[in-house]
Amino acid sequence: MGPHGSLVSVVAVGLSDYLPILLMAVLAIVFAVASLGASALLRPRRPNRPKLSAYESGNDPVRLPGGERFSVKFYVVAMLFIIFDIETIFLFPWAVTFRQLGLFGLIEMAIFIALVFVAYVYIWKKGGLDWSATPPELMDDEDSDEPAAAGEVSLGAR
Amino acid sequence: MIGQAVLPTPELVFEPLLPELVLVVFAMAGLLYEALAKRTEAVVHLSIGLVGVVLAGGTSLWLWDWDGPATVLGDAVSADRFAVLARLLLLVVAALGLLLGHQYFARSGDEQRGEFTPLLLFATSGMTLIVASADLILTFLALEILSLALYVLTGLTGRRAANEAAMKYFLLGAFSSAFFLYGVAMAYGATGTTKIAAMALALTGTGEAQALAVLGFALLAVGFAFKVSAAPFHMWTPDVYQGAPTPITAFMSAATKVAAFGALIRVLDVAFQALAWDWAPVVWGLAAASVVIGSILAIAQTNVKRMLAYSSIAHAGFILTGLTAAGSAGIRAAMFYLVAYAAMTVGAFGTVMVVSGRGEKRTRIGDYTGLARTNPIAAALMTLFLLSLAGIPPTAGFIAKVNVFSAAIDAGYWVLALIGVVTSVAAAFFYLRVIVLMYMQEPEPAAPSLTEKVGIGAENSATAILAIPAAATLLLGVFPGVIVGIIRDASVLRW
Repeated sequence: MGPHGSLVSVVAVGLSDYLPILLMAVLAIVFAVASLGASALLRPRRPNRPKLSAYESGNDPVRLPGGERFSVKFYVVAMLFIIFDIETIFLFPWAVTFRQLGLFGLIEMAIFIALVFVAYVYIWKKGGLDWSATPPELMDDEDSDEPAAAGEVSLGAR
Repeated sequence: MIGQAVLPTPELVFEPLLPELVLVVFAMAGLLYEALAKRTEAVVHLSIGLVGVVLAGGTSLWLWDWDGPATVLGDAVSADRFAVLARLLLLVVAALGLLLGHQYFARSGDEQRGEFTPLLLFATSGMTLIVASADLILTFLALEILSLALYVLTGLTGRRAANEAAMKYFLLGAFSSAFFLYGVAMAYGATGTTKIAAMALALTGTGEAQALAVLGFALLAVGFAFKVSAAPFHMWTPDVYQGAPTPITAFMSAATKVAAFGALIRVLDVAFQALAWDWAPVVWGLAAASVVIGSILAIAQTNVKRMLAYSSIAHAGFILTGLTAAGSAGIRAAMFYLVAYAAMTVGAFGTVMVVSGRGEKRTRIGDYTGLARTNPIAAALMTLFLLSLAGIPPTAGFIAKVNVFSAAIDAGYWVLALIGVVTSVAAAFFYLRVIVLMYMQEPEPAAPSLTEKVGIGAENSATAILAIPAAATLLLGVFPGVIVGIIRDASVLRW
């Protein structure tokens, strides 16, 4: 068919490739519904309070009071996780095909790790890994005589 | 060794990427200096940045006479002269941004702004990469590199307005990136490739997959229109340009447009060249909406930075007007406009920075009343840049406007040229209003003179930086020939 099929035929050809995935999805749904349904029909019903809680053998779930803010440190942790997570994701396929990729792969991976390493050194030295450090306060606009753009209609009606 | 075949890997030709590599190395040097040095000096940061930019410029110049393959690294990076020219323009803007930013942070006395130089270099590396990109995947990556750095730069001072601007920019920018990526996927579906040259070949064929290709182009256009702040995707521009620290506004208003238009020219005139009849009306509509919305809403503004932001929307429309003419005529007009626009917008925001003194004070239009008395040099510079933005001879803005309008008329879009001329007249009102305020009214009695606030030395060195864009604005207005020949040699088209 090549790249020059009409829109309809391109879509049709593309869809036939997805047939195994569709079958897999149908099987997964059927299996999930069947096992949950069988369990609901066959199991004995003797509910009690600890059994109904979300984590049977853990802490009681706590509802956060409305409007409570999370510390920004959690976001730093999440970002750090992504940095190293992505590094691992890239390292793994490279390690698998290390011999076939040869010099090209080695150079590319060295550059990549160097980049991540610089980011790591920077975060470490700037106290990003220091859990007890207090974040800097947000500076107020006391030396700006212009009201913040908050609430302004972006079309510029002022 | 189990005897597996060696995977096909691209040949390692790194020379056409040297400017980006230099910028990234110096950016990381700046980061490490900021992280490891006991006491950091702003001058060292500035030197790291300037040396990086100059070296990157030197390697770009060397690439002008590159005689290796036209595209390298698996056809992902283009080594043509168009990339060289756009890179040089971006690097000049980056150097001006570094100098202005150094002045800004030195005056406001903010500590711990060592990230400014590395982030600006990272943003510049993304911008220079996007204009050299010959593969839409690389274009997307470069777009993200420059955008992420710009989001952080916008909020760098930690003022509330700056943080708000950064958040708005980030949310809307991430949204537009998704559109762009979806457009790449559609274009891939239509042509079976993400490489720009191969895409052009695939589309000149029978053209059966046109519907998908046009859909892909439409989505790409949304992403680009957001980045160049063309209406109706301009909503973020006034808030971000106003909230960001002024030198960063100066840098990003000029450099982002050059980078995004450079990539857009490749997409329009190379990748989707065969579909010119389909995309020209889209570009026409974006151009018309941008010049009208930008020019009319700028009249209602009371803040200079906001007014210049709306003016930048209108200028995006003028550049798009030139691009409606497919082929080399449109590219030449757009490139000249980009050079002129970069000079005058960096100059205008730079002058705003000089006038605002410390931090973000004195950015209302009313603060310019009687500026010719309190600071005649700043008033003269501002007048020059505003006249150029308005398109009045003998400035670069005039020649640039003539070029884009004549390109559009030659391509048969005289209605668009007419809309452009009429809105230019309307736009002249708000530019001239500032000039009238500066020269024909007495200063407010309470207005403190600038030199009292920041010291005469700081003011002079900031003003001296602005001599560069001022000279460029005048030179391109009087002798446009100096750059026209270079632009002709730097065409993106090879046929």
